[in-house]
Amino acid sequence: MKSDEAAFTETGENMKARVLIADDASFMRQMIREIIEPEGYEVVGEATDGDEAVAQYEALNPDLVTMDIVMPKRSGIDAVKGIIANRPDACVVMCSALGQETLVMEALQAGAKDFIVKPFKPDNVLNTLQKVLEKRG
Amino acid sequence: MALDLAKYRTLFLEEATEHLAEMSSALLELEKDLGAAEPIDIAFRMAHSIKSMAASLGYESITELAHALEDRMEGVRSAGRVLGGADELKSLFHGLEGLETMVAAVRETGEAPPSQSELVERVRARTESAGAGPVPVPHSPDAISESDLEDAASDRPKKKSLR
Repeated sequence: MKSDEAAFTETGENMKARVLIADDASFMRQMIREIIEPEGYEVVGEATDGDEAVAQYEALNPDLVTMDIVMPKRSGIDAVKGIIANRPDACVVMCSALGQETLVMEALQAGAKDFIVKPFKPDNVLNTLQKVLEKRG
Repeated sequence: MALDLAKYRTLFLEEATEHLAEMSSALLELEKDLGAAEPIDIAFRMAHSIKSMAASLGYESITELAHALEDRMEGVRSAGRVLGGADELKSLFHGLEGLETMVAAVRETGEAPPSQSELVERVRARTESAGAGPVPVPHSPDAISESDLEDAASDRPKKKSLR
């Protein structure tokens, strides 16, 4: 399977879509990993700040990135801009907290494809990732 | 699917303890320089992270106080300095101490303590020198709604104009 293609089974389920998780909180990275790995997603990398998120995206070329909004060094929004500048078709899903609606909108306008709100509901996380990857085709 | 909450409670205690220590150091730095950019950013991010973790575990009282601190620090970040000086810093330290007490309660009992509304109000209230009025409570009527965001994410035509 090429690293720049998401693989789907005949039923349309994601098979080993490669995901980069960007969040400065180990707690959150672990939670996302625990939600998505049992469903067949492969976590290919983790980034703990915005600079690392951009660098890791270039190095790993994942199918999808989950991106926290508030991170050290470079914010999640600036990291989205950095990724989209080189990869306009990148699939970035923002992870936001309540009260960050304006920032989420800014991220969507910068090229993020969707968002999930903390506290994470596993079904919501999985449905959103599925939706984003299906749109990508 | 169910997450292992016991495991995340342990993670929460480890990370929250670290974050609170970082916040404490940041506020001490701000005592020396009210406009120091890095400590302002650190204090903001630590409050934000504690809020997110606490919300994930249903620790509402901790979420509420951390959210108040986060909002307060966002105001400081926007202003570029702690406008209220020593009085405002005192309020921030009170909030920090409140979080420390609450996290200790989780460590001892496994549960978050009851809400401390008075402390939350004190953290949200601005000192006279920082400007009149409290830090705005989130979700004001002019805020972008979740349906606005869903429309934007799906490229659907907006149902109403963004305010």
